[in-house]
Parts: sequence; structure tokens; C-alpha cells
Amino acid sequence: MNRKITGILAIVLFVVISSSLITSCRKDDAIDTGNEVLTLEVPTGFPYPNIPDDNQPTKNRIALGKKLFFDPILSRDSTISCGSCHHADKKMTDGLPVSQGIDGRHVLRNAMTVLNTAYQPNMFWDGGSPTLEQQVVAPIESHEEMDFNVLKVVERLKNHPEYPELFLKAYNLDPSPYTLTRAIANFERTLFTGKTKFDQYQYDKDTNALSASEKRGMELFFGERGECFHCHGGFNFTDFSFKNNGLYEVYADSGRARITTLHSDVGKFKVPSLRNVELTAPYMHDGSMATLEEVVDHYSSGGKPHFNKSFLIQPLNLTQQEKTDLINFMKALTDL
Amino acid sequence: MKKNIIIITFILFTSAVVFTGCKKDKDNGPAERSISFHLHTVVGNTVANYTSVFTDATGRSFTLSDCRYYISNIVFIKDDGTELPMTGKVLLANPATMKYEIGNVPVGKYKGFRFIVGLDSVTNHSDPATYPSSSPLSYQNPSMHWGWNSGYIFMILEGKVDSTAAANGTPDYDFFYHIGLDQLKRTIDFSTTAFEVKSYEDMELGIVFDIRKVLNGVNIPQEYFTHTMDNMPVAVKIANNWPIAFEAE
Repeated sequence: MNRKITGILAIVLFVVISSSLITSCRKDDAIDTGNEVLTLEVPTGFPYPNIPDDNQPTKNRIALGKKLFFDPILSRDSTISCGSCHHADKKMTDGLPVSQGIDGRHVLRNAMTVLNTAYQPNMFWDGGSPTLEQQVVAPIESHEEMDFNVLKVVERLKNHPEYPELFLKAYNLDPSPYTLTRAIANFERTLFTGKTKFDQYQYDKDTNALSASEKRGMELFFGERGECFHCHGGFNFTDFSFKNNGLYEVYADSGRARITTLHSDVGKFKVPSLRNVELTAPYMHDGSMATLEEVVDHYSSGGKPHFNKSFLIQPLNLTQQEKTDLINFMKALTDL
Repeated sequence: MKKNIIIITFILFTSAVVFTGCKKDKDNGPAERSISFHLHTVVGNTVANYTSVFTDATGRSFTLSDCRYYISNIVFIKDDGTELPMTGKVLLANPATMKYEIGNVPVGKYKGFRFIVGLDSVTNHSDPATYPSSSPLSYQNPSMHWGWNSGYIFMILEGKVDSTAAANGTPDYDFFYHIGLDQLKRTIDFSTTAFEVKSYEDMELGIVFDIRKVLNGVNIPQEYFTHTMDNMPVAVKIANNWPIAFEAE
């Protein structure tokens, strides 16, 4: 009897101790996951993006990048943040023809979305910046945007009550141009969009996801009559190329040529994604078109003559019904 | 046995002394010495600064508020023609700094040297954030890098110029020249400027860079700006002046 009790006690003790050990182990794990390299959840049908080895995503890095993205500490007079021109409720655009910097200064071009930016092979309408990390400094130092200097931002971050610890946690380094640009890019790479009626139809094989009009629009879009897909094809509705779409006969903004200095690049701009296009008006690099109707009219007309105009921009002479169908299809590219 | 040990110890000891002695006999000093540029950034006969009023070649007055430029790809050419590239060494020059340490080179005679104003294309398109803060290639304030494209600004020249038609006023009008782009780097050739690195002292090569010559043929009030891509003619004009603006002292 005595022996039995001892035996039972021993078992109970073992269970209690081991379970407490396991619990404490779990607790430790919960604390440590902040620096665990995450696998990002990408939308169905999307490839996994290329991410630089030195900037793999972790909870701590994403959280730091997000805080920085929405913090006006980046601008000279602390009035605007990245989020000022990339609103979450406008699919990371700002609804303005061209964005506004500090003191109401006008930026050269329309704000592009930051969604699915992980797939961009280069940044900006002219592809001037080669990586998401390097891109971060451009709006900080642009006279028309934040009009500041990255070293001064770093100085502010070093003197901030919270940031130094957050940088240490995320990168085991102090605030610096390196960690600042890594953190914001790290957050931006997590911003995906890819769950629309079109995706339900295309990837979930739900044939009822699109209406008859949307399906007719889709046929125009992907057919040789509309030819939209040549540039706006693939999972992100862009081939990431630079094209002159016949917007002007003479371009005030030389576009890609500003980077390459090539005559053959004058008036060429990055083909933008059409995901959420319904919610990202106005359109074109200068925001010169307010509605999708205007955009479709432009492409139907074949645009203006220009020596660099893409051969794909030809008069389509779309009927009113076709235009409506095409716009309905584009609206089926809006996130559900 | 004991005797043997003593003999061996003796031999080892003396030979060690002999070898050490030999080394001392051969060397009259170190085999390498530090080499620097002693670089004067001037306007005509005056060292450039941010307070004086200068005149350009046409007599028009101007002031400077920023004048910085990259020097890189420095190569020393030894007497036998061997080239000694100072790989990775980049200088960010400004008028207030005269001495720029480049590194150590072997003692001996040299035929000359050369360098480029600007950066090679690999360096030019590298990420400034990846350099330590002590590197001239790290982010600067004011910036020497274009965020909107992936390149460095090889030379910044900013100030005010007299904009009166008769050029008889005072500098009142802003000018700014930001010159970059791979194809605008320029080689500065001093390959026949012979010098000797002596074992008993560090070497300083005297060089003068004349901003008046940099602005040769530039009508400053008319051609008052370039970010290179937005005004290529002015950028090319200035870059083409770099080689003639350098002189060995």
C-alpha cells in the first residue's frame, strides 16, 4: 500500500514537473517567434516573391517597418508619413492626380500602390530605383515630398524613446540608413492583394463568380481585339515593362528617359497593375484621367501619335456595350 | 650529451641573431609608405570657400555654397610600368579638406598616376545604406546620392551668381549643378607626372582643381541648373571640363 502510494505520488510528481517544463518551454517559444523567419502568405496563383537574404521577414521587422511607414518622423516638419500618400482605404494610393508633399508641394507624379510591390523588379513610374530598400530614401530626400535627409531621420530615431529598442529587437542593430530602409521594405513586402471575383473565377474555378457582362469584358481584355493582356497580363495584371501609351504628342515628363537618357524611352512609363483599379483613380502617371470611362475611351481611340508609342496602342473602335463590359471586368479586379 | 645540447643551443642562438641582423642590414626603413593627395580646390588663385565672392572666366561674380566631388579608381604607375590600383579607395573631396590619405605603396620611383572623377558603374549603382557611416559612399548630408535613380552625384556645385546682363552686380541668383551618370565619369591622367616614394617620409602628391576652369564656357545665369538628366548639355559641358581643371602642383 505504502509502496503504491509512493509510486502514484512519483507518477503525479513526474507529470506535474514535466508538464510545467513543457509549459515553460512553450512560453519561451512564444517570446522568441518575433525573430523567426516567416513564410509570407501569398494569394492563390501568385509565385513566392524574391526577398533579399539580409532582409527576410520576421514579426519584429514587419512591426517596426509598419510603425515607420505610418510615422511622420520621416518628414522634415514631421507632417507627412509614407501613409500620407499610400492610404490603406484607397488601396495604398491617395486619390489625387499627383501626390502632395510637405507645405502642400506638388509631387511630380501620381502615387502608385504599394500592394504587391514585392513583385516589382524596380521602383517608380520610371523604374529609377533598383530595390525596395533603396527606394525608401527617395521620398525622404525629395524636395517635393518629405524634403529631409536620411541621416537626420536616423538622428531622430536614435533619440526616440521607443525606436532604438525596436531596431535592436528587429535587426540587432541601431537605427541607421541600413536598418531604416530594410525595415520599411520588409513591411512593404508583406502587402499583398489577390482575392477578387476574377481570382475566384480563375483560380478557385468558380464559374459563377463573374457576371455575363464581366465575362464578355474578360474576353475583350484577354482577346486579340482588346489586346489589354499584352501589357496588363499575368497574376498582377502587369508585365512590369515601360510603355508609351500615346497619352501625349509632347510629354512634359520624359518618363523612363529621365533615367536612361535614351530618346527611345521618352514618354514611357511603368505599366501599372490593374488590381483594385476601380479604387485607385485618378489614372496615368500624372493622374490626368479621372474615370475608367476616360481611360477606356483613350485606348479605344488609339491615343495620340508619338514616335515611341507602343504598336499595341491602335484604334479599337469599341461599342458602348463593349466599353461597359470592359469596365465591368476591371471592377471585378477589386478586392472582395 | 650535455655538451651536444649546449652546442645546438649555441648554434640556434647565433643563427637567430645572424638572421635578425641580416634583416636589419638589408632594410634602411620600411618597404612601404603612406601616400596622400594634397588637393587644393581653388577658383583661380584663391582656395575655394563658402564666403568669398569669385569671378568666372568672363569676369562675372559668383559665390559657392556647396562644392564636393568624388575621386576614385586611383592607379599609381611604377617606374617599370606596373600598375598599382588602389581598389575600393574613394575620396569625397571638398575645399576645406586638403589632405586625402589613399593607402600604402611600395617605396621607389613612379612614372605617374591617374584617377577618375566620379565612380565606376558597379560602385555607382551600389546601395549607399550598405556602407559604414565612415565611408564617403554612405549617405551624406546634404545628399550625394540621387534617391530617384540608383546613382551617386559625382559632383555638386552650388552657389549664387550675378544675374545682371552687364555682369556688374552682386551674386543674387541660385545656381546648382548636380553631375552624375556612368558615362560622365572622367579620367584624370597624370601618367607622366613622375614622383618618388622615399623610405624615410610619407608621400604627398600636390594637385590643384580649379572651379573657374570647371565652369569654362558655362553661362551661369542662363545655364543655372542641371540634375544631369534634366539638362544634359550643361552636365556634359561641366564633366568635359574636369580633366583640364586638374593640374599637378
